[in-house]
Amino acid sequence: MRDLGLLAFIAAFAALGLKRPFLWVLLYAYIDIIAPQRLGFSFLAGIPNLSLIAAALAIGGWALTDAGKGFSVSTRQLLMLALLAYAGITTINSDVPLDAWAKWDWAWKAVFFAIFLPFALRTKLRIEAYLLTMLLCAAALIISGGIKTALGGGGYGSLVLLLDDNSGLYEGSTISTVAIAIIPLVLWFAKHGTIFPADWRVRAFCYALCLACLLIPVGTQTRTGLLCIAALFVLMLRDSKHRLLYLAGAGFLALAAVPFLPQSYTSRMTTIQSYEGDQSASTRLAVWGWTLEYVKGRPFGGGFESYKQNQIQVSTVSQQGSGAVQSVSASTTQDAGRAWHSAYFEMLGEQGFPGLALWLLIHAVGLVRMERLRRRYRADEERPWIAPLATALQHFQLIYLVGALFIAVAFQPFVWMILGVQVAFDRWVAAGEKSKRAPSFSASAAPVGA
Amino acid sequence: MIDTFALALTHGLILLMAWRLLSRVDLDDDGGKPRQTFASDEADPGA
Repeated sequence: MRDLGLLAFIAAFAALGLKRPFLWVLLYAYIDIIAPQRLGFSFLAGIPNLSLIAAALAIGGWALTDAGKGFSVSTRQLLMLALLAYAGITTINSDVPLDAWAKWDWAWKAVFFAIFLPFALRTKLRIEAYLLTMLLCAAALIISGGIKTALGGGGYGSLVLLLDDNSGLYEGSTISTVAIAIIPLVLWFAKHGTIFPADWRVRAFCYALCLACLLIPVGTQTRTGLLCIAALFVLMLRDSKHRLLYLAGAGFLALAAVPFLPQSYTSRMTTIQSYEGDQSASTRLAVWGWTLEYVKGRPFGGGFESYKQNQIQVSTVSQQGSGAVQSVSASTTQDAGRAWHSAYFEMLGEQGFPGLALWLLIHAVGLVRMERLRRRYRADEERPWIAPLATALQHFQLIYLVGALFIAVAFQPFVWMILGVQVAFDRWVAAGEKSKRAPSFSASAAPVGA
Repeated sequence: MIDTFALALTHGLILLMAWRLLSRVDLDDDGGKPRQTFASDEADPGA
Protein backbone atom coordinates (compact mmCIF):
# COMPACT_ATOMS: atom_id res chain seq x y z
CA MET A 1 0.00 0.00 0.00
CA ARG A 2 2.76 2.38 0.97
CA ASP A 3 4.67 1.37 -2.15
CA LEU A 4 1.67 2.21 -4.31
CA GLY A 5 1.22 5.57 -2.61
CA LEU A 6 4.86 6.52 -2.99
CA LEU A 7 4.95 5.35 -6.59
CA ALA A 8 1.79 7.32 -7.40
CA PHE A 9 3.35 10.36 -5.77
CA ILE A 10 6.56 10.06 -7.79
CA ALA A 11 4.60 9.45 -11.01
CA ALA A 12 2.37 12.47 -10.37
CA PHE A 13 5.34 14.68 -9.59
CA ALA A 14 7.22 13.50 -12.68
CA ALA A 15 4.11 14.13 -14.81
CA LEU A 16 3.73 17.69 -13.50
CA GLY A 17 7.37 18.15 -14.51
CA LEU A 18 6.35 17.72 -18.13
CA LYS A 19 4.70 21.13 -17.86
CA ARG A 20 7.41 22.69 -15.72
CA PRO A 21 10.69 20.77 -16.10
CA PHE A 22 12.12 22.57 -13.08
CA LEU A 23 9.93 20.32 -10.91
CA TRP A 24 12.27 17.46 -11.80
CA VAL A 25 15.04 19.24 -9.91
CA LEU A 26 12.73 19.18 -6.89
CA LEU A 27 11.94 15.52 -7.55
CA TYR A 28 15.64 14.69 -7.38
CA ALA A 29 15.95 16.52 -4.05
CA TYR A 30 12.97 14.54 -2.76
CA ILE A 31 14.41 11.19 -3.82
CA ASP A 32 17.85 12.03 -2.48
CA ILE A 33 16.59 13.10 0.94
CA ILE A 34 13.70 10.72 1.58
CA ALA A 35 15.07 7.72 -0.36
CA PRO A 36 11.55 6.39 -1.10
CA GLN A 37 13.02 3.24 -2.65
CA ARG A 38 14.17 2.29 0.85
CA LEU A 39 10.83 3.22 2.42
CA GLY A 40 8.95 0.90 0.10
CA PHE A 41 8.37 -2.68 1.13
CA SER A 42 8.26 -4.51 -2.16
CA PHE A 43 8.50 -3.44 -5.76
CA LEU A 44 9.68 0.12 -5.07
CA ALA A 45 12.82 -1.31 -3.49
CA GLY A 46 13.44 -3.10 -6.75
CA ILE A 47 14.09 0.14 -8.62
CA PRO A 48 17.76 0.65 -7.76
CA ASN A 49 18.30 3.52 -10.13
CA LEU A 50 15.44 5.73 -9.01
CA SER A 51 17.91 8.38 -7.93
CA LEU A 52 19.78 8.12 -11.23
CA ILE A 53 16.55 8.45 -13.24
CA ALA A 54 15.59 11.55 -11.26
CA ALA A 55 19.07 13.04 -11.72
CA ALA A 56 18.85 12.44 -15.47
CA LEU A 57 15.41 14.11 -15.57
CA ALA A 58 16.60 17.07 -13.47
CA ILE A 59 19.73 17.74 -15.48
CA GLY A 60 18.10 16.84 -18.81
CA GLY A 61 15.15 19.13 -18.13
CA TRP A 62 17.48 21.93 -17.20
CA ALA A 63 19.64 21.39 -20.29
CA LEU A 64 16.58 21.52 -22.57
CA THR A 65 14.91 24.58 -21.10
CA ASP A 66 17.38 26.57 -19.03
CA ALA A 67 20.92 25.97 -20.23
CA GLY A 68 22.49 29.16 -21.39
CA LYS A 69 20.27 31.41 -19.28
CA GLY A 70 22.45 33.03 -16.66
CA PHE A 71 25.20 30.45 -16.94
CA SER A 72 28.06 31.86 -14.89
CA VAL A 73 30.30 30.03 -12.47
CA SER A 74 30.91 31.34 -8.97
CA THR A 75 34.08 30.99 -6.91
CA ARG A 76 32.42 28.58 -4.54
CA GLN A 77 31.35 26.30 -7.37
CA LEU A 78 34.99 26.21 -8.50
CA LEU A 79 36.10 25.39 -4.97
CA MET A 80 33.54 22.58 -4.84
CA LEU A 81 34.76 21.30 -8.18
CA ALA A 82 38.34 21.37 -6.90
CA LEU A 83 37.32 19.42 -3.79
CA LEU A 84 35.43 16.90 -5.92
CA ALA A 85 38.46 16.36 -8.18
CA TYR A 86 40.75 16.12 -5.18
CA ALA A 87 38.49 13.56 -3.49
CA GLY A 88 38.54 11.60 -6.74
CA ILE A 89 42.33 11.43 -6.61
CA THR A 90 42.41 10.38 -2.94
CA THR A 91 39.83 7.70 -3.74
CA ILE A 92 42.05 6.29 -6.49
CA ASN A 93 45.02 6.25 -4.10
CA SER A 94 42.98 5.03 -1.16
CA ASP A 95 44.33 2.77 1.59
CA VAL A 96 41.02 0.92 1.73
CA PRO A 97 39.84 1.00 -1.90
CA LEU A 98 36.68 -1.09 -1.54
CA ASP A 99 35.23 1.08 1.22
CA ALA A 100 36.50 4.25 -0.38
CA TRP A 101 34.73 3.60 -3.68
CA ALA A 102 31.53 2.75 -1.81
CA LYS A 103 31.53 6.18 -0.15
CA TRP A 104 32.66 7.92 -3.34
CA ASP A 105 29.55 6.47 -5.01
CA TRP A 106 27.23 8.72 -3.03
CA ALA A 107 29.56 11.51 -1.89
CA TRP A 108 30.43 12.69 -5.38
CA LYS A 109 26.74 13.05 -6.23
CA ALA A 110 26.21 15.33 -3.22
CA VAL A 111 29.03 17.67 -4.25
CA PHE A 112 28.20 17.49 -7.94
CA PHE A 113 24.55 18.38 -7.32
CA ALA A 114 25.58 21.33 -5.16
CA ILE A 115 27.68 22.59 -8.08
CA PHE A 116 24.75 22.09 -10.46
CA LEU A 117 22.05 23.65 -8.26
CA PRO A 118 22.95 27.34 -8.73
CA PHE A 119 22.49 26.93 -12.49
CA ALA A 120 18.95 25.66 -12.01
CA LEU A 121 17.88 28.00 -9.19
CA ARG A 122 17.72 31.11 -11.37
CA THR A 123 14.67 32.80 -9.90
CA LYS A 124 13.56 33.78 -6.44
CA LEU A 125 10.60 31.43 -6.63
CA ARG A 126 12.82 28.50 -7.58
CA ILE A 127 15.05 29.13 -4.57
CA GLU A 128 11.98 29.25 -2.34
CA ALA A 129 10.49 26.10 -3.90
CA TYR A 130 13.72 24.18 -3.52
CA LEU A 131 14.10 25.12 0.13
CA LEU A 132 10.46 24.26 0.76
CA THR A 133 10.93 20.84 -0.81
CA MET A 134 14.00 20.18 1.35
CA LEU A 135 12.15 21.23 4.50
CA LEU A 136 9.04 19.18 3.73
CA CYS A 137 11.19 16.10 3.02
CA ALA A 138 13.04 16.51 6.30
CA ALA A 139 9.66 17.17 7.93
CA ALA A 140 8.49 13.67 6.97
CA LEU A 141 11.14 12.21 9.27
CA ILE A 142 10.88 14.92 11.88
CA ILE A 143 7.09 14.82 12.25
CA SER A 144 7.20 11.05 12.60
CA GLY A 145 10.05 11.24 15.16
CA GLY A 146 8.50 14.20 16.97
CA ILE A 147 5.14 12.50 17.50
CA LYS A 148 6.80 9.27 18.65
CA THR A 149 8.93 11.19 21.12
CA ALA A 150 5.93 13.14 22.41
CA LEU A 151 4.10 9.84 22.94
CA GLY A 152 6.98 8.57 25.03
CA GLY A 153 8.96 6.57 22.50
CA GLY A 154 12.58 6.93 21.59
CA GLY A 155 15.94 6.36 23.20
CA TYR A 156 19.54 6.50 22.03
CA GLY A 157 19.76 4.57 18.79
CA SER A 158 16.21 3.25 19.14
CA LEU A 159 13.94 6.00 17.81
CA VAL A 160 12.87 4.67 14.45
CA LEU A 161 12.18 7.40 11.89
CA LEU A 162 10.10 5.91 9.08
CA LEU A 163 12.61 3.11 8.59
CA ASP A 164 15.12 1.26 10.73
CA ASP A 165 18.22 2.47 9.01
CA ASN A 166 21.34 4.29 10.07
CA SER A 167 22.34 6.07 6.91
CA GLY A 168 21.83 9.55 5.54
CA LEU A 169 19.35 11.66 7.44
CA TYR A 170 17.96 8.56 9.12
CA GLU A 171 20.95 8.40 11.49
CA GLY A 172 20.12 9.77 14.98
CA SER A 173 22.84 12.40 15.46
CA THR A 174 22.55 13.59 11.86
CA ILE A 175 18.80 14.10 11.99
CA SER A 176 19.19 15.84 15.37
CA THR A 177 21.64 18.32 13.87
CA VAL A 178 19.63 18.87 10.70
CA ALA A 179 16.34 19.17 12.63
CA ILE A 180 17.74 21.96 14.78
CA ALA A 181 19.59 23.62 11.92
CA ILE A 182 16.46 23.96 9.77
CA ILE A 183 14.47 25.75 12.49
CA PRO A 184 15.61 29.24 11.32
CA LEU A 185 14.54 28.32 7.78
CA VAL A 186 11.15 27.04 8.95
CA LEU A 187 10.63 30.31 10.79
CA TRP A 188 11.51 32.20 7.62
CA PHE A 189 8.73 30.33 5.80
CA ALA A 190 6.32 31.21 8.59
CA LYS A 191 6.74 34.84 7.61
CA HIS A 192 8.02 35.24 4.08
CA GLY A 193 6.80 32.25 2.06
CA THR A 194 4.90 32.98 -1.16
CA ILE A 195 4.03 29.43 -2.29
CA PHE A 196 2.15 28.97 0.95
CA PRO A 197 1.62 32.62 1.94
CA ALA A 198 1.85 33.09 5.68
CA ASP A 199 -1.62 32.77 7.15
CA TRP A 200 -2.63 31.14 10.43
CA ARG A 201 -2.51 27.62 8.95
CA VAL A 202 1.03 28.07 7.62
CA ARG A 203 2.18 29.59 10.89
CA ALA A 204 0.56 26.81 12.92
CA PHE A 205 2.26 24.17 10.77
CA CYS A 206 5.64 25.93 11.01
CA TYR A 207 5.50 26.31 14.78
CA ALA A 208 4.37 22.71 15.23
CA LEU A 209 7.22 21.61 12.98
CA CYS A 210 9.70 23.64 15.07
CA LEU A 211 8.42 21.87 18.18
CA ALA A 212 8.87 18.50 16.47
CA CYS A 213 12.40 19.59 15.46
CA LEU A 214 13.22 20.37 19.09
CA LEU A 215 11.85 16.99 20.14
CA ILE A 216 14.16 15.07 17.79
CA PRO A 217 17.32 15.46 19.94
CA VAL A 218 15.21 14.40 22.93
CA GLY A 219 13.87 11.34 21.12
CA THR A 220 17.21 10.28 19.69
CA GLN A 221 18.96 11.22 22.95
CA THR A 222 21.98 12.56 21.16
CA ARG A 223 24.30 14.90 23.00
CA THR A 224 25.23 16.52 19.70
CA GLY A 225 21.59 17.58 19.38
CA LEU A 226 21.69 19.34 22.74
CA LEU A 227 24.80 21.27 21.67
CA CYS A 228 22.99 22.27 18.47
CA ILE A 229 20.03 23.55 20.50
CA ALA A 230 22.50 25.63 22.55
CA ALA A 231 23.99 26.99 19.31
CA LEU A 232 20.51 27.81 17.99
CA PHE A 233 19.73 29.64 21.23
CA VAL A 234 22.86 31.80 20.98
CA LEU A 235 22.27 32.56 17.29
CA MET A 236 18.67 33.56 17.83
CA LEU A 237 19.73 35.75 20.70
CA ARG A 238 22.15 37.48 18.36
CA ASP A 239 19.33 38.15 15.92
CA SER A 240 16.69 39.05 18.47
CA LYS A 241 15.44 42.61 18.76
CA HIS A 242 14.29 42.27 22.37
CA ARG A 243 17.17 40.37 23.89
CA LEU A 244 16.12 40.57 27.52
CA LEU A 245 12.62 39.40 26.71
CA TYR A 246 14.06 36.59 24.59
CA LEU A 247 16.46 35.51 27.36
CA ALA A 248 13.68 35.46 29.92
CA GLY A 249 11.29 33.61 27.62
CA ALA A 250 13.85 31.00 26.53
CA GLY A 251 14.99 30.48 30.13
CA PHE A 252 11.42 29.97 31.26
CA LEU A 253 10.70 27.53 28.42
CA ALA A 254 13.88 25.53 29.16
CA LEU A 255 13.01 25.27 32.85
CA ALA A 256 9.42 24.36 32.08
CA ALA A 257 10.57 21.64 29.67
CA VAL A 258 12.87 19.85 32.15
CA PRO A 259 10.11 18.01 34.07
CA PHE A 260 8.79 16.65 30.78
CA LEU A 261 12.13 15.24 29.68
CA PRO A 262 12.49 11.49 30.14
CA GLN A 263 14.86 10.37 32.90
CA SER A 264 17.01 8.45 30.43
CA TYR A 265 17.52 11.67 28.48
CA THR A 266 18.63 13.83 31.40
CA SER A 267 20.97 11.14 32.70
CA ARG A 268 22.57 10.74 29.29
CA MET A 269 22.98 14.49 28.89
CA THR A 270 24.80 14.80 32.21
CA THR A 271 27.52 12.54 30.80
CA ILE A 272 28.63 15.51 28.70
CA GLN A 273 30.49 16.78 31.78
CA SER A 274 31.98 13.42 32.79
CA TYR A 275 33.17 12.36 29.36
CA GLU A 276 36.13 10.45 30.87
CA GLY A 277 33.82 7.76 32.17
CA ASP A 278 32.05 7.38 28.87
CA GLN A 279 33.42 5.03 26.29
CA SER A 280 31.75 6.63 23.29
CA ALA A 281 33.27 10.01 24.13
CA SER A 282 36.67 8.51 24.97
CA THR A 283 36.64 6.65 21.67
CA ARG A 284 36.26 9.95 19.87
CA LEU A 285 39.30 11.41 21.58
CA ALA A 286 41.28 8.27 20.77
CA VAL A 287 40.23 8.31 17.10
CA TRP A 288 41.07 12.00 16.77
CA GLY A 289 44.51 11.37 18.31
CA TRP A 290 45.02 8.55 15.85
CA THR A 291 43.99 10.81 12.95
CA LEU A 292 46.54 13.46 13.89
CA GLU A 293 49.26 10.79 13.90
CA TYR A 294 47.96 9.28 10.67
CA VAL A 295 48.12 12.52 8.67
CA LYS A 296 51.73 13.02 9.68
CA GLY A 297 52.47 10.06 7.42
CA ARG A 298 49.76 10.88 4.87
CA PRO A 299 49.37 14.66 4.79
CA PHE A 300 47.39 14.44 1.54
CA GLY A 301 44.78 12.11 3.05
CA GLY A 302 44.15 8.41 3.00
CA GLY A 303 40.94 8.55 0.97
CA PHE A 304 37.36 7.88 2.03
CA GLU A 305 36.81 5.61 5.04
CA SER A 306 40.53 5.42 5.84
CA TYR A 307 39.57 5.26 9.54
CA LYS A 308 38.95 1.56 8.96
CA GLN A 309 42.68 1.01 9.50
CA ASN A 310 42.80 2.45 12.99
CA GLN A 311 43.59 0.41 16.08
CA ILE A 312 43.10 2.37 19.23
CA GLN A 313 43.21 1.97 22.96
CA VAL A 314 40.34 3.53 24.83
CA SER A 315 40.83 4.37 28.49
CA THR A 316 37.83 5.15 30.64
CA VAL A 317 37.95 6.40 34.20
CA SER A 318 34.85 6.20 36.33
CA GLN A 319 34.27 7.47 39.82
CA GLN A 320 31.79 5.99 42.21
CA GLY A 321 30.59 6.93 45.66
CA SER A 322 30.50 10.34 47.24
CA GLY A 323 32.11 12.32 50.03
CA ALA A 324 35.40 11.15 51.49
CA VAL A 325 35.19 7.61 50.19
CA GLN A 326 35.27 7.37 46.43
CA SER A 327 36.35 4.50 44.31
CA VAL A 328 38.00 5.25 41.03
CA SER A 329 38.17 2.50 38.46
CA ALA A 330 40.12 2.74 35.25
CA SER A 331 39.82 0.36 32.37
CA THR A 332 41.39 0.11 28.96
CA THR A 333 39.76 -1.51 25.97
CA GLN A 334 41.13 -2.23 22.53
CA ASP A 335 39.19 -1.08 19.53
CA ALA A 336 39.68 -1.05 15.80
CA GLY A 337 38.11 0.58 12.77
CA ARG A 338 36.31 3.25 14.76
CA ALA A 339 34.61 5.95 12.70
CA TRP A 340 35.73 9.60 12.65
CA HIS A 341 32.99 11.00 14.89
CA SER A 342 33.73 14.48 13.54
CA ALA A 343 33.46 16.04 10.10
CA TYR A 344 36.66 18.03 10.67
CA PHE A 345 38.69 14.91 11.42
CA GLU A 346 36.85 13.10 8.64
CA MET A 347 38.08 15.70 6.15
CA LEU A 348 41.58 15.71 7.63
CA GLY A 349 41.97 11.95 7.66
CA GLU A 350 40.29 11.29 4.32
CA GLN A 351 41.31 14.30 2.25
CA GLY A 352 44.38 15.47 4.16
CA PHE A 353 45.31 19.08 4.78
CA PRO A 354 44.41 20.33 1.27
CA GLY A 355 40.96 18.71 1.45
CA LEU A 356 40.27 20.06 4.92
CA ALA A 357 41.41 23.52 3.83
CA LEU A 358 39.13 23.45 0.77
CA TRP A 359 36.16 22.25 2.80
CA LEU A 360 36.72 24.92 5.45
CA LEU A 361 37.12 27.56 2.76
CA ILE A 362 33.83 26.54 1.08
CA HIS A 363 32.04 26.94 4.42
CA ALA A 364 33.88 30.13 5.38
CA VAL A 365 33.03 31.84 2.10
CA GLY A 366 29.38 30.86 2.62
CA LEU A 367 29.29 32.33 6.11
CA VAL A 368 30.92 35.56 4.96
CA ARG A 369 28.66 35.94 1.91
CA MET A 370 25.51 35.40 3.96
CA GLU A 371 26.76 37.88 6.57
CA ARG A 372 27.26 40.42 3.82
CA LEU A 373 23.68 40.00 2.54
CA ARG A 374 22.37 40.05 6.09
CA ARG A 375 23.93 43.43 6.81
CA ARG A 376 23.36 44.99 3.44
CA TYR A 377 19.64 44.23 3.24
CA ARG A 378 18.75 44.59 6.90
CA ALA A 379 16.88 47.81 6.28
CA ASP A 380 15.62 47.00 2.78
CA GLU A 381 11.92 47.72 2.82
CA GLU A 382 11.36 46.76 -0.76
CA ARG A 383 12.55 43.20 -0.28
CA PRO A 384 12.36 42.54 3.44
CA TRP A 385 12.80 38.79 2.99
CA ILE A 386 16.42 38.91 1.78
CA ALA A 387 18.20 39.64 5.07
CA PRO A 388 16.17 37.08 7.08
CA LEU A 389 16.82 34.39 4.44
CA ALA A 390 20.56 35.13 4.49
CA THR A 391 20.44 34.90 8.29
CA ALA A 392 18.50 31.62 8.23
CA LEU A 393 20.89 30.06 5.70
CA GLN A 394 23.87 31.24 7.72
CA HIS A 395 22.39 29.93 10.96
CA PHE A 396 21.71 26.57 9.33
CA GLN A 397 25.37 26.39 8.41
CA LEU A 398 26.64 27.49 11.83
CA ILE A 399 24.49 24.96 13.68
CA TYR A 400 25.64 22.29 11.25
CA LEU A 401 29.27 23.25 11.85
CA VAL A 402 28.71 22.84 15.60
CA GLY A 403 27.06 19.44 15.15
CA ALA A 404 29.81 18.46 12.72
CA LEU A 405 32.34 18.73 15.56
CA PHE A 406 31.04 15.39 16.82
CA ILE A 407 29.60 13.59 13.80
CA ALA A 408 31.21 12.72 10.50
CA VAL A 409 28.83 14.51 8.16
CA ALA A 410 31.24 16.36 5.88
CA PHE A 411 29.54 14.92 2.79
CA GLN A 412 25.94 14.93 4.04
CA PRO A 413 23.92 15.63 0.83
CA PHE A 414 21.32 17.77 2.65
CA VAL A 415 24.05 20.19 3.74
CA TRP A 416 25.61 20.34 0.29
CA MET A 417 22.19 21.21 -1.11
CA ILE A 418 21.97 24.14 1.31
CA LEU A 419 25.42 25.27 0.13
CA GLY A 420 24.14 25.13 -3.45
CA VAL A 421 21.08 27.19 -2.47
CA GLN A 422 23.34 29.75 -0.77
CA VAL A 423 25.35 30.20 -3.96
CA ALA A 424 22.16 30.53 -6.02
CA PHE A 425 20.64 33.04 -3.59
CA ASP A 426 23.83 35.08 -3.43
CA ARG A 427 23.99 35.19 -7.21
CA TRP A 428 20.31 36.08 -7.55
CA VAL A 429 20.75 39.09 -5.26
CA ALA A 430 23.93 40.13 -7.06
CA ALA A 431 22.13 39.95 -10.42
CA GLY A 432 19.39 42.20 -9.00
CA GLU A 433 21.99 44.72 -7.85
CA LYS A 434 23.59 44.67 -11.27
CA SER A 435 20.34 45.26 -13.13
CA LYS A 436 19.51 48.11 -10.76
CA ARG A 437 22.78 49.81 -11.53
CA ALA A 438 22.42 49.28 -15.26
CA PRO A 439 20.65 52.05 -17.18
CA SER A 440 17.93 49.74 -18.52
CA PHE A 441 16.02 47.42 -16.21
CA SER A 442 16.22 44.30 -18.33
CA ALA A 443 18.41 43.26 -21.20
CA SER A 444 15.47 42.85 -23.53
CA ALA A 445 14.16 46.39 -22.99
CA ALA A 446 15.28 49.13 -25.30
CA PRO A 447 18.27 51.04 -23.95
CA VAL A 448 17.25 54.20 -22.17
CA GLY A 449 19.09 57.37 -23.00
CA ALA A 450 22.68 57.17 -24.19
CA MET B 1 0.20 4.69 11.78
CA ILE B 2 2.32 7.68 12.84
CA ASP B 3 4.66 7.09 9.91
CA THR B 4 1.74 6.96 7.49
CA PHE B 5 0.40 10.22 8.88
CA ALA B 6 3.80 11.95 8.58
CA LEU B 7 4.29 10.63 5.05
CA ALA B 8 0.77 11.52 3.90
CA LEU B 9 0.93 15.03 5.35
CA THR B 10 4.33 15.95 3.92
CA HIS B 11 3.77 14.27 0.56
CA GLY B 12 0.41 15.98 0.26
CA LEU B 13 2.01 19.34 0.93
CA ILE B 14 4.81 18.69 -1.58
CA LEU B 15 2.23 17.84 -4.25
CA LEU B 16 0.16 20.91 -3.39
CA MET B 17 3.34 22.98 -3.69
CA ALA B 18 4.09 21.49 -7.12
CA TRP B 19 0.50 22.17 -8.20
CA ARG B 20 0.73 25.80 -7.11
CA LEU B 21 4.05 26.22 -8.88
CA LEU B 22 2.46 25.24 -12.20
CA SER B 23 0.51 28.47 -12.37
CA ARG B 24 3.32 30.76 -11.22
CA VAL B 25 4.91 32.59 -14.13
CA ASP B 26 7.74 33.82 -11.93
CA LEU B 27 9.01 30.25 -11.59
CA ASP B 28 10.97 30.56 -14.81
CA ASP B 29 11.30 34.31 -15.05
CA ASP B 30 11.53 36.75 -12.14
CA GLY B 31 9.99 39.48 -14.26
CA GLY B 32 6.93 37.35 -14.94
CA LYS B 33 4.96 38.92 -12.13
CA PRO B 34 4.74 42.41 -10.69
CA ARG B 35 7.66 43.13 -8.39
CA GLN B 36 5.64 43.66 -5.25
CA THR B 37 4.44 40.06 -5.38
CA PHE B 38 7.67 38.88 -3.87
CA ALA B 39 8.37 42.04 -1.94
CA SER B 40 6.20 41.17 1.02
CA ASP B 41 3.43 38.86 2.09
CA GLU B 42 0.67 41.44 2.36
CA ALA B 43 1.14 42.43 -1.23
CA ASP B 44 0.51 38.92 -2.55
CA PRO B 45 -2.87 38.86 -4.26
CA GLY B 46 -2.98 35.07 -3.88
CA ALA B 47 -2.80 35.31 -0.08
